[in-house]
Parts: sequence; C-alpha cells; structure tokens
Amino acid sequence: MNDPVLSAVGLRKHFRSGDSVLEVLRGVDLDVSAGESVSIRGESGSGKSTLLNLLAGLDSPDAGSVSWGGSTDTGASRRAAYLGMVFQSYYLVPELDAYQNVLLARRILGGLDKAAKARARSLLGEVGLLERSHHLPSQLSGGERQRVALARALMNEPRLIVADEPTGNLDERTGNEVIELLLGLCSSANAALILVTHNQAHAAKAQRSLLLTLGVLGPA
Amino acid sequence: MPWYLHLAARQLFPTGRRFPFFTIISALGVALGVALLVIVMSVMGGFAYEIRHLIVDTEGEVQVKARGPIGDYASVLALVGSVPGVAAATPYASDAVMIKFGDRPAFPMLRGLDLSSVEKVTPLDRFLIAGSLRDMDDDSVILSDQIAASIGATVGDSIEVYSPLIIEKLSADSVFLPRQVRIVGILHIGHQQLDSSTVYGTLRLAQDLYGLGSLVHGVNVRLSPGVNEDDAVARINRVLPADIRAFSWEDSFSEFLWVLNLERGMIFFLLLFIVIVAAFSVTSSLLISVVRKTREIGLLGALGGRPIHVAACFCAQGLFIGILGTVAGLALGFTALAFRNNVVLWVARVTQREEVLRRFYQFSELPSHTSASTVALIVVLTIVISTLAGLLPAWRAARLKPVEALRNE
Repeated sequence: MNDPVLSAVGLRKHFRSGDSVLEVLRGVDLDVSAGESVSIRGESGSGKSTLLNLLAGLDSPDAGSVSWGGSTDTGASRRAAYLGMVFQSYYLVPELDAYQNVLLARRILGGLDKAAKARARSLLGEVGLLERSHHLPSQLSGGERQRVALARALMNEPRLIVADEPTGNLDERTGNEVIELLLGLCSSANAALILVTHNQAHAAKAQRSLLLTLGVLGPA
Repeated sequence: MPWYLHLAARQLFPTGRRFPFFTIISALGVALGVALLVIVMSVMGGFAYEIRHLIVDTEGEVQVKARGPIGDYASVLALVGSVPGVAAATPYASDAVMIKFGDRPAFPMLRGLDLSSVEKVTPLDRFLIAGSLRDMDDDSVILSDQIAASIGATVGDSIEVYSPLIIEKLSADSVFLPRQVRIVGILHIGHQQLDSSTVYGTLRLAQDLYGLGSLVHGVNVRLSPGVNEDDAVARINRVLPADIRAFSWEDSFSEFLWVLNLERGMIFFLLLFIVIVAAFSVTSSLLISVVRKTREIGLLGALGGRPIHVAACFCAQGLFIGILGTVAGLALGFTALAFRNNVVLWVARVTQREEVLRRFYQFSELPSHTSASTVALIVVLTIVISTLAGLLPAWRAARLKPVEALRNE
C-alpha cells in the first residue's frame, strides 16, 4: 500500500494489576489508506479503546510503532493537524457554544482566520446545526452534541478520523443518522476513518471490517 | 488570542451566564483585599502627607542649627540667603514656658518669631482663626486654639508667662517676675499636638524670657518651589561655618519618619495576607475545577493541546480573577476613600463621640493621600499573587495524561 494514512506494526500493550499482567494487545498490525473506512469490533474489554488510543498517539505501545503518513511523529502538535477524534461521550466544552466548540480545534492548531470561521459555520451547516450554532451543549440533544463533535473532528481537515463508539450513548435511529453523517463527511473530505463500535450493522457500513479478539486484530 | 486564554476567559465567564458565581466570589475576595490595602495605605499616606505639610509649613523645609544657640544669626541669614534655591530664611527661639490665665495654667512651647521675615517662611496667617499677626508686638502672643480653650482665654485677654529662667534666678536669690502679655490671635493648625502645645510670640520676647540676649536657637529656611531639599541642604552646608549645620525636615524628623514608614510597611504586609488568603480560595476553586473538568482536559490533549498550554489556561484564570478583583478593589477602595469623612462622622454621631473625635484626632478630617507607587505595588503584587494561585491547579492539569483523563468517570 502506497502512502498509508496510518500504519501500525506489531503493537503490544499490557496492563499490570497487582501481581497479574493483562496482555491487551498481542502484536497488532494495521494499515489504513487515504479515504478508507475501517471498522473495528470486539467484545467489551477486548482492547478496542486501548488500540484506538495507541493509533491516535494518546498512549505509547510496549512494543511496535505507529506512523501517520510515513512519520512516527504522533505528538500533540501533529495530532491537531492530522487527526480528528470523536468520542462516545461527545466531550464538548460546556462553556462554549456549538460554533465555538467546533472552532476550538482550529484555535488549538493555530491560524484562526475568516476562512476558518467560515469553515466552522459550513461544517455546522453540513451537520444540520447552523441554526443552533450559538446554543450551548446543555441546550442540545445527544444526537446534536455528537454532530457538533463530528464537525469539530473535521474542522482542521484531518487525513484521519478516529471514532470511539460514537453511537454508544444514542438511540438506534439517531445512532444510524450519526454513522451515515460520519461516513458521508469522511468520504466527502477524503479522510480515512477508523470506527470502533459494538454495533455490527454500523461496522458493516465501513469499507473494511476488523475484529479484535484476544488482543489480535483480524478480519471480521 | 491563544486558545488557552480564550478558554480561560470563557470558563470564567461562560456564554449565557450573567453572574458566574465562582468567578464573582473569587474576584470579590481579591477585591476586598485590594480595597482594604488602598484605603488603609491611603489614610496612612494621608497622615504622613499632612504631617509633612505641617512640619514644612511651621518649620520650613530646612532647619539650620548649632550645638547651642547661634550668635551672629544675621550673618547666618546672609549666608543662607545667598545659596541658590533658598527663597527665605527666618530666625527663631523656642523653649518651654508656663502660662497662666487666672488660676488656670498650661505648659506649652513658646516659639519666638522674627516678624519681619517669618511670613515668608511659615504662613501663620493661614492658620489664624481669630485676631491678626500684624497686631503682635513684644508684649503679645498668639495661642493655639486648644491651649486657649484649656485656660479659657481669648483675644484681648492678658496672660502671665513664666520662663525656666525663674528657677535659675531663684537659685541665685534674685526675683524674676512673670511677663504679662496680651493675646492678639488664636490659631488652629489642624494637628492635635501643635494645637495643644504651641504659643507664638516675637523673637525678642522669647530671647528675653530665655535670657538669650541676641542669640537664637536656629533658622528656618523656605526653599523655592521644585528645589530638591537634600541638594539645597548640601549647598547651604558648604557656605556655613563647620559648627552650624543645615538639616532637611526629613533629617530633623528622621526617627519619626522611620517609625511612620515602619508602621506603613507592617500594615501593608499584614493586609497583604487578605489577598494571599483570597488567592488560596482561588487555588482551591481552581483545583476543584481541574477535578471537575478532568475529561475536558483530556479532550484538550486529544485535540492537540500541549500540557504547557493546558497549564496556562488555569494560570490565566488566576490572572483574570486577579485583574478583575484588582479593578473592583480599586473602585471600591477609592469610593470608600471619597466618603471616608462622612463615614467617620456618621460613626461618631451614632456613638455620640463627635466632641471626643474633634478633641483627640490628630487632624480635623481623616486625611488621605494615595501615591501612584503604592497603588502600582498593590496592583502588581495582587495580580502576581492571583496568577501564582493558579500554578498548583495548572500543574495538576498539565500532569494529566489525555488517555487517563478521558477514561475518568
């Protein structure tokens, strides 16, 4: 595969609890190409979120490596530009309205200008929340909050979106809408997507479905 | 604006909330500290300022003295007068006397003035509330108002003046009768100590009473406006004989001024603790905020925020609270200062102590003088202390690993 957006080789991770050692990941390899959508399923506690944290550069593996676009620099500054994240619990800043929450990603990256503000408004329009751009998270429903989070993840035109159970807190209908929106937005932005989910139907909508079992990643 | 400053401002003043409780309470603590510092330091500064004016108004900026009385004071006056920056000089003689009106005695200082030159150095006319300086001759005096009140005398009455010379004469078996003088004026300087202990007469009267002959105790010097006192003292000392020295009013009252400055320093130090206590409250509130916002801090890291910027976000909250508290404190302090006399009079009226206040207060009004340097010191220290208050929460926030913070329930 030429120029993978993300490449993980031999990722291993264990957690220690007292005298016992839990091997969560036992040599995970993964390549994701530009614009590709990959879903990862697995049972609770199978290490999906651990894997996602390693892929997003939020945690370090015991062994193996992660590279983004051929570079192993997965530090905070590069993450702001390269990667967008969507979480199960939305994680919107409660003191900021929807528009400012979307804009926060660009503020952290730097280079807040008129074009960025226009993009934030455009993204809110794409997720159907332009009318509610000045509403605080507490004034939005769960589905609306997750849509704001999607817009925030796409704000810096990342090459990769990492979504950790983005429908976990939503009802089925809203969850379906969010997944459709997520896939559509990633496709139109040509951003690769790694979607971690319990939901088989949602996982099946990705171009490639993987299953994490006993710390090993394989085809679903 | 950097994202961490923007977020700090938004966390203190969230959209849609007119009265952010945490921010107002935290800033109020700082504001009270600042207001108290401004009020107390201004009033203490006012006392020092008034005392300076009283000393300069009644003694001149420079005093020329010798180990004993000065003999040829005319040549001293001529030498001092030739120094650039000297506007006027006047000789004086001063010592304790006993005065008596009827059977009521008092024991003030009698200050003998040279009527031909005193007005150019000490504007006594300004303090007169009855009579006139022009009516004064070698057989008359001007009393300060509290002495006049204590012996029950007024303008036109005659009093007896007993000098310490009487004791010397008695030991030499001779009699020295008290001097009968008229009261030609009553003055009110506005300083309790001076108003309760000073009598003014002519230089010749004082010389007679103290047996000085043509000697004087010293020379008071008035400088031209804007002339540096220390420079003028140095210039005067260059022309004077070695046994006669000039001192600035600050030199003459150095111990008093040192005590005054020590008091101000101690009060400032003690009141600063109010700001420090308020800063601890800011620290405590921000620490709670760090715990409450753990997952948001994780999010900031996940979005690419660097730990140093996360720390800056919380430090900035301390800074903003400091600025807000300082501005509010200055407004509160200066407002209170503007109404200080009304408040003091109201308290005196309510407690029915108006007369006591008038009698024992050093000044007729509560003085206030706010120096720009003191305000600058209060502002800088408060803002620095408030910003430091955000350091511990900032350090805690910066240490949080995004992956652990996001996992936090």
